[in-house]
Amino acid sequence: MKLFVEVHPGDYRDSIQLLFASGAMSEMEGVQKASIAMGTGASKTMFRLMGMNDPAIEQAGPSDLVIAVIAADEEVFRKAVAKGFAEMDSIAPADDGKPVYATIQEAVAARPDARVCVLSIPGEFVKAEAVHALNQGLHVVIFSSHVSPEDELEIKLKAKEKGLLCMGPDCGVVNLNGTAFLLGSITRRGPFGLCGATGVGIQHVGALLQAAGSGVSQILGTGGGDLKLPVGGITMLMGIDALEADPETQSILLVSRKPADEVLQSILSRISQCRKPVVACLMGCERAMVESSGAVYAENLDDVAVQALRLIGKTLPLQSDEELRALAAEAAQGMSPKQKYVRGLFTGGTYCDEAMRALAPLIGDVHSNCPLKPELLLKDSLHSEFHTCLDCGEDEFTLGKPHPTMEPSIRKPFVLAEGRDEETAVLLLDFIFAVAGAVDPVGAVIDEIRDAMRTARLRGGRLAVVASVCGTDADFQNLDEQKRKLRDAGVYVCDTNYRAALLAGEIIRRRNGGENA
Amino acid sequence: MNTDGNKAPELFREQKLVVINVGVRAFGEALEKQGADVMQVDWRPVAGGDKQMQDILSLLGGN
Repeated sequence: MKLFVEVHPGDYRDSIQLLFASGAMSEMEGVQKASIAMGTGASKTMFRLMGMNDPAIEQAGPSDLVIAVIAADEEVFRKAVAKGFAEMDSIAPADDGKPVYATIQEAVAARPDARVCVLSIPGEFVKAEAVHALNQGLHVVIFSSHVSPEDELEIKLKAKEKGLLCMGPDCGVVNLNGTAFLLGSITRRGPFGLCGATGVGIQHVGALLQAAGSGVSQILGTGGGDLKLPVGGITMLMGIDALEADPETQSILLVSRKPADEVLQSILSRISQCRKPVVACLMGCERAMVESSGAVYAENLDDVAVQALRLIGKTLPLQSDEELRALAAEAAQGMSPKQKYVRGLFTGGTYCDEAMRALAPLIGDVHSNCPLKPELLLKDSLHSEFHTCLDCGEDEFTLGKPHPTMEPSIRKPFVLAEGRDEETAVLLLDFIFAVAGAVDPVGAVIDEIRDAMRTARLRGGRLAVVASVCGTDADFQNLDEQKRKLRDAGVYVCDTNYRAALLAGEIIRRRNGGENA
Repeated sequence: MNTDGNKAPELFREQKLVVINVGVRAFGEALEKQGADVMQVDWRPVAGGDKQMQDILSLLGGN
């Protein structure tokens, strides 16, 4: 295998074209690794991490298209380049005659009634464009990652000064006035204003509210860096102000992983002054501390929806513990004595974390590439050990490739590998819809799921597959159809990721003789 | 808490969302499918991507 590099000066492509082309090239025969990227600082770091070191890469600029492939020979490389360009051209939009603008200023001049600007450009250029947008009076939604905390702080201080929201960087889920942005779900409007630093978390709560017949006024994603230092929660604090002032919002729901201590204090202090009811799930924060602010404490993501609905006299009908126990009793039958472990494969990092927290009290330690305790870190993320939950959206799998929410087939080889492992008892999966994501996320891996189940059967065992789907009945993906596809394959479909993890844990507990526990 | 100057409540009252999409077109297309008006900016690194030159141009442009 040898590294081949080609640079095309001035051939700028957007990140989605690049990511999908990289993915398509990586799967070719004779290709060990492949990536197409613009020659930005972040891309050069990525190439180095992938073991692709070449002076031509280092010399390339952000306007230059860099193609690097570790391939068997020159012919394979040529074929990979052709495949990469074909893939990029297939994604490039057809000329529909609509005007395309060179700058934000030009676009605003054409439509002075524009209010929001979405940025999905290389991180190192975000600050300049965000400042342009803010100076034009636009609220900004920043999907880009690799924005430095210093740049984020500067953008957010500028936004605050102008009274404008800055959602992101690293923001994947936003819903404004009933319109879903980026990777969010389409959600009916209702009395709850959501603001949160975990995209999957706020999408999950919005979807559950819709399932219960309610909905959201707005969903404001802050980006994961907002509740850390040095940013200090600027967007969440402005989000609370905005939702408090919004007549359509009756209650405010806040979701985040644990904020930095100083930031937590300012969020709690702001909640204590809020004139509207607040439900808060700040994962890892003490109940007493959250309740001291006057907020309703929510233990987990499901509980945010449960507590919120309680405020309007509604309940959330989720599978009961008894139902899960009955399903577990059925699912645990027919397994071979060697089948012992849960293997979770997640597209959402928040879901991976939530599943490990749900599983640990039932089955003990869970190994992971993002473990709850450092000693549970997998030696090799490509090989499960004992009970394992894998975050397939981690950089090690997605470096230079699309996130699994957009390209769910990244899980195919993992599903097959778990089927081949005679110790796998339960395969635990999440499926997350995105308004600009895969149209058939279940279809992307359903053949592999069937294969894995068949492999276990041929060995004289039975693989239990447990899954949850995060999305709404308004999403383009067709929620009922996606769930039906899973059920038809013999998958246990749970109401939420947390319930799915509990079912997986209960199956193992029964395997270990815990029926009467 | 002072909410004076926070323009988000105004945004929440907009009847039709007009969005400027800079970068990935699929994000703009998803918004259009839901009825938003989207203005696409065909973004490229200015000054050939020279970060320092871009900062200088930005200062000169006063934006």
